Amino acid sequence: MKYAHIADCHIGGWRDPQLSDLSIKAFELAIDKVIEEKVDFVLLAGDLFNTSLPAVDKLKEATRKLKQLKDNDIPVYMIAGSHDYSPSGKTMLDVLENAGLAVNVCKGEEKDGKLHLKFTIDKKTGAKITGILGRMGSLDKNYFENLAREPLEKETGYKIFLFHALLTELKPKNLDKVDSHPLSLLPKNFNYYAGGHPHFVHNEDMKGYGRVCYTGPLFPNSFSELEELGNGGFFIVENDEVKRISIKLYDVERISIGCNHDTAEQAEEKLRKALDKDLKSKIVTMRMSGTLESGKPSDIDFRQLFTEAKAKGAFAILRNTSALTSKEFEEIKVELSNPEEVEEKLIEEYIDKDSVSLTKELLKTLDTQKQEGETVYVFEKRLKDEIDRILR
Amino acid sequence: MSVKGLIISGEFGKVLARQKSDQPLEIGELLIGGTEKKILLQVTDLLYGSQISQQNLELISGISLEENSPVEFFDQNLRNYSLAVLKSLITISKGKSKLAKELPKFLSEIREVKKEDLSFITQPKNPLYIGKMRSGSKTLDVDISLPGKKVFSHHILIPATTGRGKSNLTSCILWNCLDKEYCGILVLDPHDEYYGRNDLGLKDHKEKDCLTYYTNNNPPPGTNSLRINLNIIRPGHFEGVVYWSDPQRQALHAYYKKFKDRWIEAIILEKPLDVSFMEGTMAVVKRRLLSLLDLDWTGERLFSNGIFTLKGGESTVADICNDLESAKTVIIDTSSFSGEVEILIGSLISTEVLRRYKNYKLNGDLVDKPVLNIILEEAPRVLGKDVLEKGSNIFATIAREGRKFQVGLTAITQLPSLIPRQILANMNTKIILGIEMAPERQAIIDSASQDISDSDRNIASLDIGEAIITSNFSRFATPVKIPLFQDLVKSSQQTDLKTSFTGIKK
Repeated sequence: MKYAHIADCHIGGWRDPQLSDLSIKAFELAIDKVIEEKVDFVLLAGDLFNTSLPAVDKLKEATRKLKQLKDNDIPVYMIAGSHDYSPSGKTMLDVLENAGLAVNVCKGEEKDGKLHLKFTIDKKTGAKITGILGRMGSLDKNYFENLAREPLEKETGYKIFLFHALLTELKPKNLDKVDSHPLSLLPKNFNYYAGGHPHFVHNEDMKGYGRVCYTGPLFPNSFSELEELGNGGFFIVENDEVKRISIKLYDVERISIGCNHDTAEQAEEKLRKALDKDLKSKIVTMRMSGTLESGKPSDIDFRQLFTEAKAKGAFAILRNTSALTSKEFEEIKVELSNPEEVEEKLIEEYIDKDSVSLTKELLKTLDTQKQEGETVYVFEKRLKDEIDRILR
Repeated sequence: MSVKGLIISGEFGKVLARQKSDQPLEIGELLIGGTEKKILLQVTDLLYGSQISQQNLELISGISLEENSPVEFFDQNLRNYSLAVLKSLITISKGKSKLAKELPKFLSEIREVKKEDLSFITQPKNPLYIGKMRSGSKTLDVDISLPGKKVFSHHILIPATTGRGKSNLTSCILWNCLDKEYCGILVLDPHDEYYGRNDLGLKDHKEKDCLTYYTNNNPPPGTNSLRINLNIIRPGHFEGVVYWSDPQRQALHAYYKKFKDRWIEAIILEKPLDVSFMEGTMAVVKRRLLSLLDLDWTGERLFSNGIFTLKGGESTVADICNDLESAKTVIIDTSSFSGEVEILIGSLISTEVLRRYKNYKLNGDLVDKPVLNIILEEAPRVLGKDVLEKGSNIFATIAREGRKFQVGLTAITQLPSLIPRQILANMNTKIILGIEMAPERQAIIDSASQDISDSDRNIASLDIGEAIITSNFSRFATPVKIPLFQDLVKSSQQTDLKTSFTGIKK
């Protein structure tokens, strides 16, 4: 048995037009590799698209590649991820399934409050595949908590479980404030746990479970991921051996410049020197940090320097100067690592100290989503009661 | 109003009362003396009284025993009776209380205490419910709550002999504060008894989302397996866990200085340093690290077998601290770990918690944070005199200065006498359950927040679930009846929420 495990393609993910094509290109390369490797089937562990209704041009390319898999008799088994799931049911994944290009394995029914999942059996190999979709804000936790585990755990044969969630035990330090699920929520005794959602690579045989894998993104989906990962990839599993296939579109040139005690001119010179190298067909990530002795970050002529770098053949240049400050004026600069941190920083900057916690609590409450099965009236009442409590 | 006796003699703190024959008194019983200005009294001792001389009593008993002749007294109740030694606790006037400073009137009546007499006992801010007020073995319908936020940060001691209800009391406290926003509690649970894996426990609380449980023994669904990355351990975390010689300690720090997060790996893989240590020193350090952290070294690669891992577990300590800061209760099942590993885990978390709270204080954010409390079973393992003589540890630091940073300890022990007097005195609330050993009672009496020097017998006679609270935050040493945990759980109603699973295909 040989299969591919792909996750977090985030097709259509980048806003930058140059980079936005790279996620679909990475997908195309991955599918080519999968066909070349003659795998029996492909697992897509969520977030094939960056939204539930992706742009038509991206969709067109993605369906073309999925059709190629179908033509090569390679079935695709998938689950929805936190980005391409839609609570209203309006997701392009359903269209793909109805067109016979992929099978959503997140199938089951509710009996006495418990979720009874069904296995999808791969005809060629007999592999039994099931899984649970991923939802924003860890709303999928409810599915895991109410899962009828025993039938899943007792099922014999080669079993694969797809999930789209961050496991607490594998959470890196920088994600400590991100919602996660404990490993114990997964059903036991599966041969392979195909994970998606967190953008890091992990492959480990976990006691009482089986092989638990995260492929990381197929193509880095942010500045920091480009810096950290350089390129994306996926796994090919053959006879329980897991091999990582790297998808390299462009080399990444990482530039990091410390500018403490520099003038704006000196910082610009440092950047000029750092860019004075072979940048042909490279994606350049440029991070500058520190406090300028004189001048402002805006005094640095990034546009000119980047135009020169582009002229040398650089494919794209991304800059992050959020940690570059000036003594001349204090502008609020926030590391754009996640929206919560940006929000928190801005609240602390603009609101008097006594009201910070109140504001945070209000924002958190207003961010509450309507629960499954909750009527609009009940939801509104719950929200009003909670706000009353906070303001009191 | 049933009169229970009459004040007949004594001195302040040792008032003697004659008991009414049909109104038996018990050790620890609460009584009321006076009318307008009431005095709350407590029985501290009981003794016999008789109008018949000792010589005659001996003769009468001899007749009864040796000649098998029944003994009958004329006016029996007037001739033989019981006397009670009473202690004044507080004076109650117009629903307010103050410390007692006067004697009850001579030959005045004393009666049993009623709920109305105790109306001065009101609900404090951030109440932590402990139990019902107790008078001897009778339970009064008066709730006893402590000001939770203050009590948790000023440390709690729960001393008791085995079987007197330490676990039940701790379970009740945890249950009652699980949904409270003013406190986050860390429980190092060496007997895996508080979560309730196979029985009733905190998992049955309706606010179970406020509970996080870590275990490595087949974690029940939804609970966490404990996994801590080696990279987050620092040499300081071993203080009070492992006793290193000076050269060994210097070696740990030298490796940390050079290799930072990867220092343990560097020691085991024998990576070179700029300074040199004796081969024997390094061999011992390496062997002890391998054993304590349950690591294997094949000569080329390092493997982890236990909770300390090379992969994952990087955010575990941060996750736990985040939960505590969100006023959650975190239970860590340490039943499968050695004492050293348990203390190392506690040290890792406590060090981080204290560091964070010190920072909050510096930044002026501490007031918005919940108070944190760390529950330590068999506390002398980390707070014992012999342990602290070898070197201080994070728990002793918290016991000394944690109060200033809203971090407190709850020390549970059978042997309070092993804890240094200075630390015992810092435990500002003591919930005393039955203690049979006199030296242990004395250690508690000597360090109590109220004068309970005459409560030795009272403490010895405490039955299962009966307790005395002495605290800086209560007016007098308060006798309480702790509820049975099972009753507490059963009395709380659970409502099942309807679940739905959108997105699941049929």
